[in-house]
Amino acid sequence: MRNNRRLLGWLDERTGLKKIWETLFARKIPESKGSVAWFYTLGSACLFVFVVQVITGVLLAMNYVPSPDHAYDSVRFIDKQVFLGHFLRGLHKWGATFMVVVVLLHMLRVYFMGAYKYPREVTWMMGVVILLLVMAFSFTGYLLPWDQKAYWATAVGANIAGQTPVVGSHVAKILKGGEEMGVATLTRFYALHVLVLPILTALLVGIHLFLVVWHGISEPPEKTNRQIESN
Amino acid sequence: MSAWHEEYLKRYAQLKERGRSFFPYAVFKDVIVSFLLLCVLSALAYFVGAELGDLADPTDTTYNPRPEWYFMFLFQVLKLFPGRLEAVAAVVLPVLVVLFLFSLPLIDRGRERHPSRRPLLTGIALMTIIAWGFLTWKGYTSPLTNPIVEKDPLVLAGHRLYQELKCSYCHSIGGQGGLVGPELDKVVGDQTEEWLGKHFRDPQALSPGTVMPKLNLLGDEITILVAYMKSLGSGPFTEEAAKLFNENCTTCHRIGKEGGDVGPNLSAIGSVRSKSYIKSYIEDPSRANNSSSMPAYKGQLTDIQIEDVARYLASLKGNK
Repeated sequence: MRNNRRLLGWLDERTGLKKIWETLFARKIPESKGSVAWFYTLGSACLFVFVVQVITGVLLAMNYVPSPDHAYDSVRFIDKQVFLGHFLRGLHKWGATFMVVVVLLHMLRVYFMGAYKYPREVTWMMGVVILLLVMAFSFTGYLLPWDQKAYWATAVGANIAGQTPVVGSHVAKILKGGEEMGVATLTRFYALHVLVLPILTALLVGIHLFLVVWHGISEPPEKTNRQIESN
Repeated sequence: MSAWHEEYLKRYAQLKERGRSFFPYAVFKDVIVSFLLLCVLSALAYFVGAELGDLADPTDTTYNPRPEWYFMFLFQVLKLFPGRLEAVAAVVLPVLVVLFLFSLPLIDRGRERHPSRRPLLTGIALMTIIAWGFLTWKGYTSPLTNPIVEKDPLVLAGHRLYQELKCSYCHSIGGQGGLVGPELDKVVGDQTEEWLGKHFRDPQALSPGTVMPKLNLLGDEITILVAYMKSLGSGPFTEEAAKLFNENCTTCHRIGKEGGDVGPNLSAIGSVRSKSYIKSYIEDPSRANNSSSMPAYKGQLTDIQIEDVARYLASLKGNK
């Protein structure tokens, strides 16, 4: 016991552990009444699903080959040969669905409660960018199994992007890595899905969370604006 | 700084002072919710899992992908905006929605936060949710707009067998494959099912001296291969195809006795060009022929209509 305390003291002196704990976890937040408090769990639920996606994603990447010749077979290999592989892929796929749902619910909570208002405007804007990143994850990840659904759904998506006025055909070309979908499309999507998007998302989630802690979580809205109570 | 900003900060500081510690007050609930999520997630992953369909086949333009359920509404919206307007639904609307969301805190700057005190914004959100639900439901219940692209299971099975037998070492479809044997999509349309059946049973019987090996196929395998071959010629088209042709093409093109002579006569186009070539040509003639004066129809007609017309034209072998 005393040894533990000495170890913590040693660490605290060198890392500021106590201060970090106080800022992140021992900070005070406004109390919300009844079931309203449960709406405030949606943000952390997003973070949780993101962590699940990172872990399952890393494990999938260990067995996946991003080339049209081998992608499909490597996914089959994950399904049939890898220990708990099918379950792992199921987790990642359903995690992706949950991600979209939970992020949207979180956004609805903030929208209806007007929690994006002063001083939390930038927190909300970062959140909208994170929503776009989630969509980009969903779009790029969809192609990777390289089955019929993956290929043609992506073709439809690229066609839709291609219909953008003025810049459309260039956007489609950049997405596909050429006129036709093929090797370049798959490697491009893979690089975006496992390198670019995770880094951007981690960065933006970091900013988002910093701002949440910095301003403090918003209090549940009241029908009438109460004045400051005199002590 | 607006007048109420300072007041808000003071009041928030008060609420915070009287508040609870984040740990364990909020963390406790967070952990419970995340745990429940993990349980549902694991159950779905274990019992439903993630499906893996057939290997992607870039030459198979008849595959009809359906989007994830949360994108179904967009799919349904696309049906409501035909042709050129598709761009409005597919790109312009989503961009506007995102811009609205992003700039929301700059638009709605008052101090009121309760949903009942912001009736307009609350109304917009509720309407959006209802519209999303309705469109999702319609997306699943309304018929496919393109019944012609629904696939016959026999054809699918035949296609798989074609790949397993490595027919493409010698034959090509849509320009993909070997050059030893005939280009299948150009020649099979001329043959009857009976001929194809006999041919697969014993190539020598109908074409003495051919280098095609006898494959010793089972009856079922021959049936599905024949179905696949017949699907290549052109594939089924609807009555609308001829109508579309009359409306859009007869000014310049002739089929049989009807039509103009500005462009080539198409009465027998199916015997020299494959469906995929015709389709690509209708979409954008400049891809194959830079000096063509024919307009590109991509965007003028929907993809489904172009597919339909291309199948119709590929079926024309000069016997009309």
